[in-house]
Amino acid sequence: MQGGLERATGEKMVLNFGPQHPATHGTLRIVLELDGESVLKATPHAGYLHTGFEKLGEHLDYNQYIVVTDRMNYLSPLSNNFGYVLAVEQLLGLEVTKRCQYIRILMAELSRLADHLLWLGTAALDLGAFSVFLYSFREREKLYSIFEKTTGARLTTSYTRVGGVLRDLYAGCEEDVRQFVGNFPKALKETHTLLTRNRIWMDRTKGVGAISADDAINYGLTGPCLRATGVAHDIRKAEPYSSYDEVTFDVPVGTNGDAYDRYLVRMEEMIQSCGIVTQVLDNMPDGPVNLEDNKVTMPEKSDAYGHIEGLIHHFKIVMDGHGVQPPKGEHYCATESPNGELGFYIVSDGSGTAYRIRIRPPSFFHFQALPNMLEGGMVSDTVAVLGSLNVIAGELDR
Amino acid sequence: MNEEKEVEEQSKPLVLEKLETHHSDALLAQDEARGTIVVVVRKDQAYAVLEYLKTDPELAYTYLVDVTAVDNSQMESELMQFDYARFMVVYQLYSYQGQGRVRVKVPVHENDLSITSVTGLWQGANWLERETYDMFGINFDGHPDLRRILMPDDFEGHPLRKDYPLRGRGERERFNFDKQNV
Amino acid sequence: MGLDFVGQGAGQTDGNIITTTIDKVVNWGRKNSLWPMPFGTACCAIEMMATLASKFDLSRFGSEAIRFSPRQSDLLIVSGRISIKMMPVLKRIYDQMPDPKWVISMGACASCGGVFDTYTLIQGVDQFIPVDVYIPGCPPRPEDLIDAVLQVQQKITSGASPKGVEVIYE
Repeated sequence: MQGGLERATGEKMVLNFGPQHPATHGTLRIVLELDGESVLKATPHAGYLHTGFEKLGEHLDYNQYIVVTDRMNYLSPLSNNFGYVLAVEQLLGLEVTKRCQYIRILMAELSRLADHLLWLGTAALDLGAFSVFLYSFREREKLYSIFEKTTGARLTTSYTRVGGVLRDLYAGCEEDVRQFVGNFPKALKETHTLLTRNRIWMDRTKGVGAISADDAINYGLTGPCLRATGVAHDIRKAEPYSSYDEVTFDVPVGTNGDAYDRYLVRMEEMIQSCGIVTQVLDNMPDGPVNLEDNKVTMPEKSDAYGHIEGLIHHFKIVMDGHGVQPPKGEHYCATESPNGELGFYIVSDGSGTAYRIRIRPPSFFHFQALPNMLEGGMVSDTVAVLGSLNVIAGELDR
Repeated sequence: MNEEKEVEEQSKPLVLEKLETHHSDALLAQDEARGTIVVVVRKDQAYAVLEYLKTDPELAYTYLVDVTAVDNSQMESELMQFDYARFMVVYQLYSYQGQGRVRVKVPVHENDLSITSVTGLWQGANWLERETYDMFGINFDGHPDLRRILMPDDFEGHPLRKDYPLRGRGERERFNFDKQNV
Repeated sequence: MGLDFVGQGAGQTDGNIITTTIDKVVNWGRKNSLWPMPFGTACCAIEMMATLASKFDLSRFGSEAIRFSPRQSDLLIVSGRISIKMMPVLKRIYDQMPDPKWVISMGACASCGGVFDTYTLIQGVDQFIPVDVYIPGCPPRPEDLIDAVLQVQQKITSGASPKGVEVIYE
């Protein structure tokens, strides 16, 4: 349309895009009304992966629910674990130990890398750049091996606990992470040389799916999608949680709010995350990881097996109605997940299970704003825009 | 004693102060819990309050973080406090101008399950209100497209209500493939 | 890979001639060129992508030709949670695949609902479509998926018909 192509004046055509389509990354569905090649109207449909997370929250106790948060945004489970336990801890009025806060930041930033890498691989794959997909998965596998050594699982990590984390970092973790972070900028540069000045990549993403800063705020966009429009808002800076005020990093912003800017912002965020990881490793404090609070944290495994006190303590924590019991009240806690503002709104009635858990997912808003970015564009841009938003169905539909 | 009171008044957040001056009759309760300001607002004036919060240049709550609801039917204390209103519609707002977060709660009675939509103020409210309608059955007056969003269109019931069983009412076993239009 | 259709009933003469049955040749071809249709919805889809990507590289086993069009594929990999809204889509995709077709149910959610025993989730896709190979795990590791593909290959070599066949021709 913009390129001087003649506008077809035939009948309107309705194109059903998804829910099963290679570029929908799972289960998204968009119904497009087309006039020739240009999109007149786009209607996104959600709910194909609705799992009932919020209902489940009313039936599981506070520590059991961590397992469920893994499966919400499956690109960065550690960030979800982090956001959720932070909300519960703030509801309880607890502050975890310094070392624990640092470990959590370390893991959250590594999972930000994992998320952005997968986004990079698939977004490029959708536009035909297959090698980027292989490159980013190569780096991702290195991250997965660090996650696996730390948490015991590649993907469903369930690493955090209310009042601490599952266990301390493994011996040699620091070397592994340092080695990864040391090599990572070089690996990312390979992708830069493949994409950033690539004629095809620029043609397909520059000026595509642009959204203005005002619209972005009005639609509730957060994270890289908001920052690409030029709004330098990052919850890690605006409302620092868990020692994020002790590390220095830049918040990259774009200017046009198009797919290309979202790409650049995410690329730069990865470099910033590497910086944060290095600072965290440099300043990692010693000391205990978990809180010494018998009402909240589990005893050491050796205690639970070897001493009667430890056994009773363990029993008390895992028994129904004896574990973590926040006081009656409610709390909303927002964290900067790789995709944007991930919020948990927890209403407690004073018992061991939450009365209501509401998850505020960033992808929900990004997917909702899609018509604003698509309408008036070309049908082939749909894939580019959808790829640049990184909509995660598990988080969208919960 | 008087001095102390003055100090207290001064430290009161700007939002509460302004709401008290402009919309004092709409406020049912106010609270400041864990760093967030919480106000409970009368239903018929909820739209006016939200509009005021968004458009007032000093407050500028331009970012609607979330709209959801809580079914208070099993929480006696909350029910008693707000005249046995079963549902509480919850709005979370954030101001990019440094006013922080505010949570606006609106009690909704079961016999009058409707509330004015805020889609005119925030585009982002569209899907949030659809989800709240889908999950709780609360109608939003003036909503441009109030349909189910997460559940299939022919689904009956509202899953996040407290009387809806976790394992459903057999919908995952009974299944009519012909009825669904994919 | 080898000429593993040279089995019982087959023989080799002195020259470069091999005799066998037509079924064995066809099955040999099928086995080594399974085209998967990845029905990835959730976490398992990420592990499925990892299986296809650099480190694990499913193409070593002849299954790298991922086809998102069901009409071109003969192996359906259901990876992830299937909600009641998604089930009709899955059923239709299964119906659109040409015979013979095999189904792998990857991970706990597809096989039995996993940790999500809720109102919206199908507790096992085998209630609605026939499944040949189940993979346990939440999510299974890429090695598990490769193992499942190999099991499907074994099934093909053995000459067993896919689970779905009886249902279709009944």
